[in-house]
Amino acid sequence: MKMKKFINNPDNLTTEALDGLAAANRDIVYRGEDNMIISKALENADRVTIVTQGGSGHEPAISGFVGEGMVDISVVGDVFAAPGPQACVDAIKLADKGKGVLYIVLNHAGDMLTGNLTMKQCKKQGLNVIKVVTQEDVSNAPRENADDRRGLVGCIPAYKIAGAAAAEGKSLEEVAAITQRFADQMATLAVAVRGATHPSTGAALADLGEEDMEIGMGQHGEGGGGRQPMKSADETADIMVNALVKDIGIRPGEKVMLIINGSGATTLMEQLIIYRRCEAVLKEQNIEIVANYVGELLTVQEQAGFQMFMARMDDELLRLWNAPCHTPYLTKR
Amino acid sequence: MILDCRAVGSMLLGAARLLAENADRLSEIDSRFGDGDHGITMNKISRLIAEQVPLWGDRSLQAFLDDLGMAAMEVKGGSAGPLYGTLISGLGALLEADEKEVDADGVRRMFAGVLQELGDITQAQVGDKTMMDALIPAVEAARAAKGDVKEVLEAAAQAAEAGAKASEGFVAKYGRARSYHEQTIGTPDAGAVSAALFVRGLAEGLEDIA
Repeated sequence: MKMKKFINNPDNLTTEALDGLAAANRDIVYRGEDNMIISKALENADRVTIVTQGGSGHEPAISGFVGEGMVDISVVGDVFAAPGPQACVDAIKLADKGKGVLYIVLNHAGDMLTGNLTMKQCKKQGLNVIKVVTQEDVSNAPRENADDRRGLVGCIPAYKIAGAAAAEGKSLEEVAAITQRFADQMATLAVAVRGATHPSTGAALADLGEEDMEIGMGQHGEGGGGRQPMKSADETADIMVNALVKDIGIRPGEKVMLIINGSGATTLMEQLIIYRRCEAVLKEQNIEIVANYVGELLTVQEQAGFQMFMARMDDELLRLWNAPCHTPYLTKR
Repeated sequence: MILDCRAVGSMLLGAARLLAENADRLSEIDSRFGDGDHGITMNKISRLIAEQVPLWGDRSLQAFLDDLGMAAMEVKGGSAGPLYGTLISGLGALLEADEKEVDADGVRRMFAGVLQELGDITQAQVGDKTMMDALIPAVEAARAAKGDVKEVLEAAAQAAEAGAKASEGFVAKYGRARSYHEQTIGTPDAGAVSAALFVRGLAEGLEDIA
């Protein structure tokens, strides 16, 4: 199928995109072997380090968050496909500065397989690594079945929390426990109004027609069941923000992080309109947004829609979120 | 009949050939509820097998299968690389480290090793619409089969094919297809089909040297 995308050889999409990321951010990251993006801060790191893995096609995720205060090495597979375990084991070895490695994996079938195989190898080789899985999609399973929940944009704030905890000099066990605590308190719901095109094959990843939207869309266009006629920004925000509050069990007086993450083809204008409504709805329930982000963190090519992320916050998590970081797509001073 | 390294190499080449011949069909099946690249990935694994078998050298069965499996895990294109890499390494997992020949009982151990290694990384059972729909019955059939190497392989291949066929009736529980729930009934699992081709290919590959 003919695609209106600026690509060269479909086989080289991932390597060319990673080359570009490294070239555009040569003060922060460099290219390693096997589709790795490595933080320049790793060389002199004397702390727990952070490794993650995942497919390409979700830019700026995941490699756009490699750098000081977040991820030390990202291992990238192919478009929407996990890397192999050997590359991940190599990355963990390379990242280990003697204090151990936190290995963050998103809950998708391929990523989990690679994650399990990687951990098996690491154990065999006696490497000091703890794996944390992000699985926060409320649409495809109840909270009790967290293992069935997909990992969506929540990995990005989880990288931030983990990276900041590591930078504070905490032990691997402490960094893992804090990251897990944050991961346990987060929830994401996605909505899509138009599907993406797979950039290597040209295949349409979802067909939502002209009239419908789908709440609960996965990040590769997988259906989530909530197909319904298109609604206004406020109506959509109400459905989603209330679903997240209910899922996490946020009570009046509590503090949250709220992220509106554009999927690729929804404008920042629309995202801001959604955010404004969410803040009003939460304020009415006496829930305070103490941390936020509005914009693209984890996209799905040109899918139109967004992911709404919420997490229960406490003083420690807020301090870690606000701590300095310097990565290609997120910098805090 | 005793299988030496050359015979096992021929079996692997048989599997590689059958997978390559069916690559388009695998991609077609995968395109219905997956991302349509299973045939492409299996073709890459097939090529890897064809490249590596001639370079076997004096490695034992376990050593070669482990090296080949580790290389297959790095094949890009989704879960198939890690899964088939684990399957191939698993063929050697329950053999002695220096074993260079196996009899019918050794073939049963090779199949049992596949299940042991895959069981470490996935909880999938028969009925979940994955490659396990073909592999679990194949291992059980191999264990139960009387007779020589050929009969064990033939029993495994037939059970794997029946399992792949049965996957048509299952609802997907893993991967991208999972989101399509009952819509997946009527379409076999691409991984179960490729796993059945793999086992059938092993049996066919043995014929090449007989």
